[in-house]
Amino acid sequence: MRRPNFITIWDRAGLAVVVLSSWAVFAIFAEGFTSKFNVFSVGRLVSILIVVGLAQTVVMGIGDINLSVGAVGGVVAMFFGWLVAPTQLGTAGLASGAPQDVTALPGLGINWQFAFILALLFGAALGFINGWLIVRSGLHGFIVTLGTMGVFSGSMYIITKVKAFRNLPEGFLGFGKMKFFDLLSPLVFIMLGVVVFLFFFLRSTTPGRQMLASGANRRAALASGINVNRIVISTHMLSAALAGLAGIMLAARIGSAIPTIGTGGGGDWLLPSFAASAIGGTLFTGGSVNVVGTMFGGLLLGTVENGLNLLRVPGFWVQMITGLVLLLAVILDRIRVVAVERSRMGAAQ
Amino acid sequence: MDQERMVPEAQDQAGSTTTATLPPGREANGRPLLEMQGIRKAFPGVQALDGAELTLKAGEILALVGENGAGKSTLIKVLTGLYQPEAGEILIEGMEVRFPTPRDAMKHGIAHMPQERNLIPYFSVGENIMLESLPRGRFGLVDYDRIHREARGWLDMLEVQVESRASVDDLSIAQRQLVEIARAISREGRILVLDEPTASLTPHETETLFGVLRRLRDQGVGIIFVSHKLEEVFALCDNIVVLRDGKNAGNKTAIAEIDRDGVVTRMVGRAPVTQELPERTEGRGGPILELQHVNTSSGGRDISLTLHQGEIVGLYGLVGAGRTELARAIIGIDKVTGGQVLVKGKKATIRSVKSALARHRIGYVSENRKEEGLIQMLPLVSNVSITIWRKLQNLVGWISSRLERKTVQPFVERLEIKAPSLNTVVASLSGGNQQKVSLAKWLAAGVDVLIIDEPTVGIDVRTKANLHELIWELVQRGLGILLISSDMPEIVRLADRILVMRRGEIKGEIANDHDYEKTSELIMGFIH
Ligand SMILES: Nc1ncnc2c1ncn2[C@@H]1O[C@H](COP(=O)(O)OP(=O)(O)OP(=O)(O)O)[C@@H](O)[C@H]1O
Ligand SMILES: [Mg+2]
Repeated sequence: MRRPNFITIWDRAGLAVVVLSSWAVFAIFAEGFTSKFNVFSVGRLVSILIVVGLAQTVVMGIGDINLSVGAVGGVVAMFFGWLVAPTQLGTAGLASGAPQDVTALPGLGINWQFAFILALLFGAALGFINGWLIVRSGLHGFIVTLGTMGVFSGSMYIITKVKAFRNLPEGFLGFGKMKFFDLLSPLVFIMLGVVVFLFFFLRSTTPGRQMLASGANRRAALASGINVNRIVISTHMLSAALAGLAGIMLAARIGSAIPTIGTGGGGDWLLPSFAASAIGGTLFTGGSVNVVGTMFGGLLLGTVENGLNLLRVPGFWVQMITGLVLLLAVILDRIRVVAVERSRMGAAQ
Repeated sequence: MDQERMVPEAQDQAGSTTTATLPPGREANGRPLLEMQGIRKAFPGVQALDGAELTLKAGEILALVGENGAGKSTLIKVLTGLYQPEAGEILIEGMEVRFPTPRDAMKHGIAHMPQERNLIPYFSVGENIMLESLPRGRFGLVDYDRIHREARGWLDMLEVQVESRASVDDLSIAQRQLVEIARAISREGRILVLDEPTASLTPHETETLFGVLRRLRDQGVGIIFVSHKLEEVFALCDNIVVLRDGKNAGNKTAIAEIDRDGVVTRMVGRAPVTQELPERTEGRGGPILELQHVNTSSGGRDISLTLHQGEIVGLYGLVGAGRTELARAIIGIDKVTGGQVLVKGKKATIRSVKSALARHRIGYVSENRKEEGLIQMLPLVSNVSITIWRKLQNLVGWISSRLERKTVQPFVERLEIKAPSLNTVVASLSGGNQQKVSLAKWLAAGVDVLIIDEPTVGIDVRTKANLHELIWELVQRGLGILLISSDMPEIVRLADRILVMRRGEIKGEIANDHDYEKTSELIMGFIH
């Protein structure tokens, strides 16, 4: 067993304390924050945020960056919508006699559980494109995913003509509205499953460890017999599959697949994906990730956003405050790292 | 410091001392230049220094020796302001000083070359040398011409043949080391601290350096010299201080009054036993690695060699002869561009370390442990097990950390790796112990062919003997070992056959009868 040292405990506990205090603050000041409905909706919101954060966390583990998380999320959600939407644009789901929705698209009408798997694979395929281009071109993920971000969402807009899949199957819509204990959405359990999986994947499996090793020191990883190129590609596949998962989760939440998922409609995912990871203690330099930290980071961001909404703070304020929370968190973290370093080195002054 | 820089261009070829103004080495009020007393420093799990002391006079070269992890580098880092001691004092010319930061130590004229390479990547050689005092020209802009002119002077002083404008990334390990030495000397301190400066230098480069150091000493500089090569200590130093487990072992002693065994006794804590390597009972088997007229992308030309099972082939040459490059081509990091490679008699194309390891069971212990041998931020246990994660995982891909530790432990013990625990990050281990970890990982990998590149650079005498025994044992067990070393006694001691390389070609082969005088002469014959 790798025993957690006091730094990691402080790390996680410290963030948990911040999350709890933000809950306490909102519980007191924001009316309705603790209502059953709000807990349910925050749970859904936060779960999606955390999965988006984890999509970024894994690429940060190899010292790379994925700017296309939002684009992939949107594209995968639309792909999923296309698979499951009925072939005929009937009037199902619309008030009878209402005119046919001109902004809706027909789909293939595939079973949604099966489509879910296909869509994740499709996400992984998009990640393969990212990873393959990075490995082939030798460019940093920043440049490559900056490009694919535009290509992915742009081509999706062209194909769908920015229309949506609105007539999603009842089963799927029901899934989005489902409540356990009258409180928790199944999305929360999906998120927890992903967290647990990634935590152990990175800690105790060969590919997970090889990812971190490649991120910590690429040359040494190569010289230790690790196929770093393959690791880069598979990490991007994992990242895109997670982004896609978040996209489908968001579709379940809002009950339709709209083109702006991940890039506009549900708020841009880019900032929160980095914010959750960085607040959680994942290093931008690679080699060290904190999956549980990202979970708390996402929890904090989601809570703050929801609390501010309840307080009727206007949307652009929320965005600004999210940015501030990120800055504050990384500055505090920097201070902590320096303090720890200093106490280790004994540089007491 | 406000005196005029000593511009070494002024120096003539004969190497006469410069007329430049170095800080006067006279002792004020009769106190030594430097005193360190009762220094204590602990890290999590280790008391690195436990009341260590040291005095240094102006115009003295003081050897600081001790086993790996004895605390030499820590003591030096305390002196140079990198670490703050928990107790103890530092006096310069009798005045107590404190160095909260490295800059403060520099202000007191302390110049330091750290043990681990510390150059700034992408910067030029000249910028790296002059970093602390970049000369300013018009408008306060950095004066690059002057940087490179002055840097050139320091490089010439050490006879380093690299362009000052070259990027440090393009330099070999030895060249980087020389650049760091030049950087330390260029600060013209009155105390010069060199932590294993010669670890990867050729004998010739070392001699040049010693010439420079002796000259500085004569000008009154006090020099602290750390090395595991005791021959160098005896050739260069005036006095010696031995550390053992963070304490002084014996007082400072004049080098003339102690011999090698005396030093080793102090280091180890008991009288040294000269270990003769036992006879190997297993004879050599069939060929396991053959190169036939191999050319490499990195400049190797028409290289043929055969390594048999149960055999140690030594690959000797000066630093830069192309031995590391050859090893990297064999292992699949660089490319083989012509000729044939045969593994166990079968033609093999090795394109990556992965296939070398998994398919052909060949391993390579890199000479560059910081950047290539180890992953500094990972713990000791992962650094050893990295090559065998796949073997450790169970059916569902799970790696049990208990099994992992149980597998790694024997190697840590066999190599006597000194670390507070298996979870200690490698970066916090002493240099010598890091070297052992980089060897341990390939032993754990269980390969049939091991290419070992400079295995005992920076390793203390006792561990070196241990490593030699270990290599011997591995061969006895049937491995074939290609040993790259610039340490001639080591090669002569271990190798069955010695190949001498020069400028990317194999110049000759010597059947080694372990007679040092005779063999070393033969080797030198092929080099010049
Ligand atoms: N930054 C650090 N954090 C934790 N432990 C450290 C750190 N630096 C040194 N140590 C420990 O302190 C002890 C002394 O190390 P030090 O580097 O001074 O040894 P050394 O005598 O220079 O050895 P070597 O000959 O191998 O270079 C070792 O046990 C080492 O693991
Ligand atoms: Mg040291």
